[in-house]
Amino acid sequence: MSENLERRRFLKCLGASSLILAPLGCSSVKEESDANKPHYVMVFDQNKCTGCGECKDACNLANNLPAGKSRLLMEQQSGGVVGEVCPHCGKTECDCERKYVRVSCQQCKNAPCVTVCPTGAAHRDEKTGIVTMDAAKCAGCKYCIGACPYDARFINKETDVADNCDFCLHSKLAIGELPACVQQCRYDALIFGDANDPDSYVSKLLRVKDSVRMKPGFGTEPSLRYIPIVKLGV
Amino acid sequence: MDGSIEFTMGLSDGIAWPWPIAVYLFFAGISGGALATALFVRFYKNQTENTPFYKAAALISLVTISLGMLCLVLDLTNPLFFWRILVYYNFNSVMSIGVIALSFYIPLVAIIALLALEEEVRQYPQLKMLLPVIEKLKNFRRPMEISVLVLALSVCAYTGFLISALVRFPIINTSVLPALFIASGMSGGAASAKMLAVSMFKEDLHSPDMKLLHGAEWPIMFSEALFIFMIAMSLFTGNEGMQSAFAAFHTGTWSWVFWLGVIGIGFAGPLLLNFATSHKFSHSAKAFYASGLCAVSGMMCLRMFILYAGQQYGI
Repeated sequence: MSENLERRRFLKCLGASSLILAPLGCSSVKEESDANKPHYVMVFDQNKCTGCGECKDACNLANNLPAGKSRLLMEQQSGGVVGEVCPHCGKTECDCERKYVRVSCQQCKNAPCVTVCPTGAAHRDEKTGIVTMDAAKCAGCKYCIGACPYDARFINKETDVADNCDFCLHSKLAIGELPACVQQCRYDALIFGDANDPDSYVSKLLRVKDSVRMKPGFGTEPSLRYIPIVKLGV
Repeated sequence: MDGSIEFTMGLSDGIAWPWPIAVYLFFAGISGGALATALFVRFYKNQTENTPFYKAAALISLVTISLGMLCLVLDLTNPLFFWRILVYYNFNSVMSIGVIALSFYIPLVAIIALLALEEEVRQYPQLKMLLPVIEKLKNFRRPMEISVLVLALSVCAYTGFLISALVRFPIINTSVLPALFIASGMSGGAASAKMLAVSMFKEDLHSPDMKLLHGAEWPIMFSEALFIFMIAMSLFTGNEGMQSAFAAFHTGTWSWVFWLGVIGIGFAGPLLLNFATSHKFSHSAKAFYASGLCAVSGMMCLRMFILYAGQQYGI
């Protein structure tokens, strides 16, 4: 008898809870699908970059940065300048080809700076998905600078707030132009566009070229891609 | 192909968090540790009166957390931006959660200190207007003490979680850091509160409270040493970045801070003063203060080592 009652109660509860839980499961808040949103990416082609540094000047100008400061750096990794030692082989005279790497915000899809920022000043722009700054909210705690796995953030000495490369979101993209560095580059070493648009030049490029991301082990999923110089042949 | 391209430059100038943050971690650790120890003793022994140790711990806790906040604010690029942290919140951010904890903790510590120092307040006629407030607050003393105990331990742990979120640095990005900071906060906090209890509130050097604390000191210190050993071992046996960070323990200025400051002063100091000296000396006031100062300096050295050596060895 009591066993029967227990079973009945168990079945009742099961039915009731499934009735309650089922609609919850159906109506659960879904992650907003990324399909309709743009995913802006930049590709740096190391084979084409000559290290002229004009991208840095263009960045400084476009984003009203303090004199001599830009949101990107060029790291020379090989090839001697006359009178100086080659950073790759250490000799003053060598046959190393000049090689440069763009150092700037990697525009992570999973951005540690956005996670750690206590005020939400470092945030992802809703429309474009680009990681950018709200200078009016930044308290200058430098948490984002320490948390960035790429050391790609800095304090703007004029405004006292943190800064990062946001593909010129507020300066150039806002008026429908390409980022200043991309416009400036005379060697087509920088390509910018929406990777979610299958017809964009950048999507087509990424389909045919091998590109890599920096420090993928951090799980940050950067949107900046690099086409490295590779040795030809086997 | 991943890994075929790398860069070593960075856009920030030097280390993001310099010494004021280490001092802040130190003060927050002392504050939380001292109060947590005092409350543990109070609950364990069912004390209802304001013992000298309790008074000292409450006072130290309030002073150190205030100084810590000062360090924190002065380290902002512009201290006038401080209000922004209090107004805007991001619940994914460890710092933001810490700010919420601190904004409950600090007022509660102030109340606890006020209640603990009731007799002292009574001695000053100028502070008479505080007495009715104390009477009112007394009714909520127990729940406040319990919540402040939880918050004190949270604040200690928070200082660890805060920096362990910096993924680039293998020494800092370890899971035992919050536990290490709780243990070291308790030993440093208890040591400083003990010294103040004896010097300012005339506690007897060999009172039962002091004896209890002396007994608790060694297990806490042992767990601290264990946590440090765990960090060192995980780096030693870890991946490439961790192995290169292990160098912090044997090369450079910060290895000196570690071996002389953390191990020499922080661990060997109190141990030698208590066990390697004559019974008469090890029970003297001199040894008591020297050993307390050793514990506190060792704690400061640990924070400096973790923060500076940590940020020096990035991946």
